[in-house]
Amino acid sequence: MRSRALTTFAALAGTLVLAGCGGGEPAKAPAADIAAAPEFSGTLSILTKFAGEPLSSYFEDVAAEYQRMHPGVKVELIQETDQSIKDKTKTLTASDALPDIYFTWTGNWAENFVRGGRAADLTKVIGPDTPWGKTFGKAALSAFAYDGKYYGIPLYNNGKFMGYNKAAFEAAGLKVPTSFEELLASCAPLREAGYEPITFGNKDGWPALHYLQQLFAYTVPSATLQADFSPKTATLDHPGYVTALKQFKTLVDQCTDTREGTNGVLYSSAQEKFLNGKAAMYYQEILEFANVTDERELKPENFGIFPLPVPQGAAGDPKAIEGAPEGYLINARSPRVALAVDFMKFATGAENAKTLSAAPYGQPSTVIGAVTAETSGKAVFEGIEMVNQASQLAIWLDTVTVPEVADAWLAGGEALVSGGSTPEKVLESVRQASASAK
Amino acid sequence: MPVRAIVRRTLGLAWVVPALVLVGVFVYLPLAQNLGFSTLEWDIYSGSQEFVGLDNYRRLLDDPVFWSSFGDNLLYAVISIVFQVFGALVLAALVESVRSERWRRSLRAIYFLPSAISLTVAGLLFYFIYEPNLGPLNHLLRAVGLEQFTQAWLGQESTAMYAIIAMSQWQGFGYSVLLFAVAIQRIPSEIYGAAAIDGVGPIRRFVHVTLPLVREMTGLMAIVTISGAFQVFNEVMVMTGGGPNNSTQVLGTWLYRSGFVRNNFGYAAAIATVLFVITLGVAMAQLWVTRRRRVEW
Repeated sequence: MRSRALTTFAALAGTLVLAGCGGGEPAKAPAADIAAAPEFSGTLSILTKFAGEPLSSYFEDVAAEYQRMHPGVKVELIQETDQSIKDKTKTLTASDALPDIYFTWTGNWAENFVRGGRAADLTKVIGPDTPWGKTFGKAALSAFAYDGKYYGIPLYNNGKFMGYNKAAFEAAGLKVPTSFEELLASCAPLREAGYEPITFGNKDGWPALHYLQQLFAYTVPSATLQADFSPKTATLDHPGYVTALKQFKTLVDQCTDTREGTNGVLYSSAQEKFLNGKAAMYYQEILEFANVTDERELKPENFGIFPLPVPQGAAGDPKAIEGAPEGYLINARSPRVALAVDFMKFATGAENAKTLSAAPYGQPSTVIGAVTAETSGKAVFEGIEMVNQASQLAIWLDTVTVPEVADAWLAGGEALVSGGSTPEKVLESVRQASASAK
Repeated sequence: MPVRAIVRRTLGLAWVVPALVLVGVFVYLPLAQNLGFSTLEWDIYSGSQEFVGLDNYRRLLDDPVFWSSFGDNLLYAVISIVFQVFGALVLAALVESVRSERWRRSLRAIYFLPSAISLTVAGLLFYFIYEPNLGPLNHLLRAVGLEQFTQAWLGQESTAMYAIIAMSQWQGFGYSVLLFAVAIQRIPSEIYGAAAIDGVGPIRRFVHVTLPLVREMTGLMAIVTISGAFQVFNEVMVMTGGGPNNSTQVLGTWLYRSGFVRNNFGYAAAIATVLFVITLGVAMAQLWVTRRRRVEW
């Protein structure tokens, strides 16, 4: 360790200060009319969540084509990963330097930008009755609607499913489980057949929340669950929470090889184990289905999916599926909102939507008709069909509620996995976080 | 004052102005601004900033994660003192007692090598060493029949902080050894010669000759090590991000999490101020020690 007191502190403080520059400005009205004819000149900046292979080339290709069509426009891409985009977006927000178009999740994440006046109201151009709006699935559009206004451009849909290795199930003499109890019971025979029943990596904390949110949707009535997401109305006293937390802990202890050490495993390491054919199941997003290819041990023909099975006697909604579309907002303070709208219309056009849904991207577009068994692959098509038929989508727990509560769930999920806390104590810590966030 | 002297002095000042401006803008201005932010409730989305006085500091007192983070920094400091000050001093004395110059040089290089690796890279490297399924540490334990000691080193609250500290010792140890080796080399060989004539053995020679004569460096290293222990950030972020269940949070990472994850930027600024006060205190002690403990011969 070297002496670096002042400089390190200055770096940390500087980060905060950088975030603080310009932060004192009150929310401003949109800088330009979103429905105006775009002026095809200048630089259009876009913050995407498509960094890394194979996704990064999608926006690169779309941008190159758009620039070819409009030589006066330069598209500047800032591509981030799922993890890094969170910090990047917040730093840019605090320093009042958001790009013209930026990625967003649904729920509280997007709501913060709407509330802060940083997302342009796109109702006039993307509302469900507009020509552009009609090209999207209604549920996807509604996921970004607040107080009857439409702010987001949904790019692709997503949902969480248990992926399974058909060959492993066959070797263990098993069928797809129809209840959570059957899922737990399947773990012993799968282990005897030489497979880790469910591979799971929780180093980043959020993978546990994905299990928990789906189980909460099953065990807690919808109205209660929705009320509990907002600290103002939350009571978090339904017994279904503790039931779900216990079910999750049982699954980790009985069905993973890493058990209480699962917090030390990367999500991607668990994914690799499944793709290498060493694990029988892996809870994953539709966006990950494209990783199953002929080059891997797990072949596409042996890959199947099913929703996390519903526990018996659950008091919630058995037809809910965890997931949410992901999309883009347009910076309300951008002087190029009309150009930004035009670019996103191009990016979500029929051809680009099909390209996005097909290999190697495998991101199921929210544009109607873009996802078919032929263009997107069987598993992605099946997943999207199930998402479309779900009674409701349970939005990711770490984005649906306020950050303090989400953080308490993250820490609680890790504590539950490691055995450092009990379901009752985890719920109490979340209650406290919710109370202090009121 | 003659005109030439005034011109010379003015020119001299002109040379340091750019550096002063840079330090002012990039070091002292952020410090002052951070102090201001720590008195605000700040919504980064709407941009609204409400003055809350010392509320953020009062919240610190009731925040169990802040105190556990502080405790982790202290633990870091204590273990680092043991290994990077006393352990490194003993090893440096052993290395310097090797007769062959070639071996001495080789050993110094071997111990110093980990310090040439960036903390982020070392953190990633050790993340894979500790990985419960594929990591070589658990494989090694199994290979020597110690399977009962295999762990998810970074995945369990009881072992995660120690695993990170161990990596940090590995990374920083060689640097301390090198500094102590330099200090030992500065001790005149006549003193050791006299001790040998008096029949002093190697342990007594270390205790009564080496230790007092490297006192200045020991004090300095202790302070630098404590200061460094309160600025830990990279290794924790890379290896655990502060988890599981906040068990590896240190003040630096809790500051980051409070701001960039929990959106409490005013509160994060308050943590930064506390961190600054601690490191400033240690830095002042460092200055005091370097003035007071100089040994002349």
